[in-house]
Amino acid sequence: MLSLLILVPLAGLLLLNLPFTPAMKRTAWAFAFTVALAQVAMVLVAPAAAWSQQGFLAQYFSFGLEAKDLTRVLLLAIGIVMATTLMVGRSMITDDRQQFNFVNLLLVSIIGMNGVVLVTDLFSLYVFLEVTSVSSFILIAFNRDLGGLEGAFKYLILSAVATVLMLTGVALLMLVAGGTSFETVAAAMKTSGGITISQMAVGAFVCGLFIKGGLVPFHGWLPDAYSSAPAPVSILLAGIVTKVSGIYALVRLATSVFPASGAMNEVLMVVGAASIIVGALAALGQHDLKRMLAYSSISQMGYIVLGLGCGTPLGIVGAVFHLFNHAIFKTLLFVNSAAIEQRTGTTDMNRMGGLGSRMPVTGVTSTIAALSTAGVPPLAGFWSKLIIVIALWQAHDYGFAGIAVLMSVVTLAYLLLMQRRIFFGKTSPEHAGVREAAAGVVVPELVLAALTVAVGLLFPWVLNTFMLPVGGIFH
Amino acid sequence: MNESILLIPVLLPLIAGLAVLAIRGPVRLAREVVTLVVMLANLGLAIYLFGQDLTFVHPWAGVWGGIAMEMALRVYQFSGFILLAVAGFSLLVALYSWKFMADRSYGNQYYGYMLISVAMVNGAVMADHLVVLLFFWEGLLLTLMGMIAIGTKDAWKTAIKAFIIVGVTDVCLMMGIALTGWLAHTLRMSEIAAHPLSLAGLGSVAMIFMTIGAISKAGSMPFHSWIPDAAIDAPLPFMAFLPASLEKLLGIYLLGRITLNLFALTTESWVSTLLMIIGAVTILLAVAMALVQKDYKRLLSYHAISQVGYMILGIGTALPVGIIGGLFHMINHAMYKSCLFLSGGAVEKQAGTTDLARLGGLASKMPITFTCFIVAAAAISGVPPFNGFFSKELVYDGALERHWIFYAAALLGSFLTAASFLKLGHAAYLGKRDPANEGVKEAPMAMLLPMIVIAAGCVLFGVYNPLPLHYLIQPILGEHRLEGHDFAGLPANWMLVAATVLVLAAALVNHLVGVKRSGSGLGAADHIHHAPVLSTIYDWAARRFFDPYDIGMAIVRGLSLFLWGIDRFIDWIYDSFIVTLTTGLGWTVRLAHTGNYSLYIVWSLVGAAAIIAFLMRIL
Repeated sequence: MLSLLILVPLAGLLLLNLPFTPAMKRTAWAFAFTVALAQVAMVLVAPAAAWSQQGFLAQYFSFGLEAKDLTRVLLLAIGIVMATTLMVGRSMITDDRQQFNFVNLLLVSIIGMNGVVLVTDLFSLYVFLEVTSVSSFILIAFNRDLGGLEGAFKYLILSAVATVLMLTGVALLMLVAGGTSFETVAAAMKTSGGITISQMAVGAFVCGLFIKGGLVPFHGWLPDAYSSAPAPVSILLAGIVTKVSGIYALVRLATSVFPASGAMNEVLMVVGAASIIVGALAALGQHDLKRMLAYSSISQMGYIVLGLGCGTPLGIVGAVFHLFNHAIFKTLLFVNSAAIEQRTGTTDMNRMGGLGSRMPVTGVTSTIAALSTAGVPPLAGFWSKLIIVIALWQAHDYGFAGIAVLMSVVTLAYLLLMQRRIFFGKTSPEHAGVREAAAGVVVPELVLAALTVAVGLLFPWVLNTFMLPVGGIFH
Repeated sequence: MNESILLIPVLLPLIAGLAVLAIRGPVRLAREVVTLVVMLANLGLAIYLFGQDLTFVHPWAGVWGGIAMEMALRVYQFSGFILLAVAGFSLLVALYSWKFMADRSYGNQYYGYMLISVAMVNGAVMADHLVVLLFFWEGLLLTLMGMIAIGTKDAWKTAIKAFIIVGVTDVCLMMGIALTGWLAHTLRMSEIAAHPLSLAGLGSVAMIFMTIGAISKAGSMPFHSWIPDAAIDAPLPFMAFLPASLEKLLGIYLLGRITLNLFALTTESWVSTLLMIIGAVTILLAVAMALVQKDYKRLLSYHAISQVGYMILGIGTALPVGIIGGLFHMINHAMYKSCLFLSGGAVEKQAGTTDLARLGGLASKMPITFTCFIVAAAAISGVPPFNGFFSKELVYDGALERHWIFYAAALLGSFLTAASFLKLGHAAYLGKRDPANEGVKEAPMAMLLPMIVIAAGCVLFGVYNPLPLHYLIQPILGEHRLEGHDFAGLPANWMLVAATVLVLAAALVNHLVGVKRSGSGLGAADHIHHAPVLSTIYDWAARRFFDPYDIGMAIVRGLSLFLWGIDRFIDWIYDSFIVTLTTGLGWTVRLAHTGNYSLYIVWSLVGAAAIIAFLMRIL
């Protein structure tokens, strides 16, 4: 069953692009949307047996896939964000041909991301990371405008650096462990984890992941890429791509493959705290909406890594929970920005104001997402941040806990500033005729906002059903 | 005999008061009639209860730390006497108010508060449990504030002033009660009375705290400063009703209970001396202020303070003669002072003002009011044979036995009292009549009747003083304390009487000199007012430098200014400092993000190198 998550999009991709089926091209969007929803449905309702790697497919397609609890959380997030991106993309990309290309690239991206979360081999992991990245490069430059090309180029170059680092790491680990599967590497690390060369390998690989995840000081590409990409692509990038390719891989490797060491945890916490601080402070000064959200993403990513660096099961639960929550509310914020860009044609906050009365749904959902990001109870973001702070406190990292709390105040500050500049005050004459965004944008907004509220209100259930099993990664 | 009859003097006025509060609109006479009927019933009840000894006890809030909380009421000689006096004054003031308050708004509040006040005073007087006493005591504070607040437009300021002053002293009373209960292991007054607390150690602290509560209710200095303000702002019958009679009765009653029943006050105790000092100072300072007032009501209000000094002085002597004198003075003062206030009300009602400069020559227009005024003024000045003379002589006797200086202060107070009433009577009733007052007529019967009754009482209690002393005052102390003395009849010490008469004559001479100098009755005290040192002090007093309330408020204001500064500072940290710091940091971070791509790559490489080096333990 698991291989279907990769094979079905792949087969679809091939079929859609056969030259003799122009009719099928019209069904491309529907196919991709069905794939995304099916993935969500599978996570939520499929029986346990579906998550095993058996049947005749396994004989021919033996990638060694595995689905842990952590993986299922990510698969769910991928499905949700992908469906959102497809809806917004259908609403905003009007040209049929362009839309077909867009859907194709998204299918590539979903193959890549599903692969990343499912594989159990370092080299396969690297391959799927690159698949994801390649589709992202093209998507960022989708409109072939100067900004998009620049953003794509920056991402490409730093990704190349990441590639070098990761490949170096894989090569060195191969040298030490004699194989690249997670099991082999983990076993080898138990015996020879302390030696210098394996530390170097781990360090190199982790730095590659830091670049992919856009953490400080490896974040140079991220604001440009996010802000210059077309609106639907920004949603995809910010909502899920960087999370899967950077943060998820980090969580997976740090918890079950690389040896848990104090030095590693310290690196994670320092990088996390630096990301939180620099991201939040930089976001405070932005006047471009998407750029501000990009810095905010860096900052929130810092929380996840900080929780991870805590090293305790509770810290990991908090990190994964925040990863999921962030995927939801940051996607929502970018959908809001897409709605605003669609109607006003700009993302410059200095030229906005008073849009709240013109675009009520966007305004309200944006408020919910902003409050959730800042960690205001009882929304989802509050709980995950709370867990992270508690985990830090229990681990006696009081300084980092203090940073986490203080910076969430700054987070609230810049997000409220954003709310005020965009939605409150007088409407400028320039935007007098602005209407609420199209249904394709409004529906995802409502669904995502409802999710944020629901996860917050149903926190105990969500925690017990999905999150606490994740903490059992160690066992 | 069912003891629960003791609940009626509390419940009846209380329920009636709440009902009257609810009466609004055109049913005009209803509240007056209800009030009068209830007051009459209350008087009847008080007469019935007088002379009996009844105790009503009902368990109430369980037992706290070994001390039972009970709803305990008791009527015996002392409380029965006060009940009777309260009922009498209330009835007369209610009758007086019928006409005086006729055209005022807030009638329902006035009568409602009046009835509730009577309920509270009755409850406080009958209370045998100190917590019950405190409950009714505080209840009176509410109606006090309400009755002041319904006066003139700015009366609420005075109401708040009264509320704060009395509220603070009530807290003292509360602490005193707590200490007393802790020392005595009971809060029942009749149980404590069996073994009065000694004044050693904490006992004296407890007594001081309770005494503060008692004498502030009576209006003693330094808790007095709301009374002259209330005289101007509050409806006039209120002054006759609460500060002049009911509160004096209640405050001095409690002081009497404290000194007679709760604590073993002896002449050797420093608390006794302290009380005498407070009394003497109150007499002198308040009467000195009264002397220079140019307003009928305000002048009277300072006397209401000054006369309390005699009572505290008398009780503070801790001698039977002084205590009898103080208590006798209490009832006498309640009579002549309410009569004086009522005469002031009659003048205000008929002439439209109480400003002495605009009065004068009213004697022929309002002969009955004038006669009542003469009687009451003579009584307060201590002219024989009115009641004030006899009680003051007893206080003098006690004071002289302790130390001559207290006697001298009391005598000087008498001189100034007489001088100020000569001035008041001259300015208001004699002299030239203001043309505007040509049409003034005598006050209506409903207002005259209470004055006449009280003035007659002043004469009766003086001429036939064995009546009050034998039946009302002396039984309070009991035979064993009196040691066979009888203070009724003519004063025992003829030297003191001679001195009194001499002082009164001096006051008359002083008045004539003053009138001759200034040319009018109003200016009769100007030569004292404008004497070299005194004029400065009077000036300061007029500017409220000596008002403890204003001093306290100034301190509070300074403190709040200081705290406001701290608050501003904290606000500055949050609103300004942190914001500046954060935006400054944000600006720094933004400067670092130049968009120069090679820089970003360098960051990444340096970062990666540092991390790898750290993990390899090179760094």
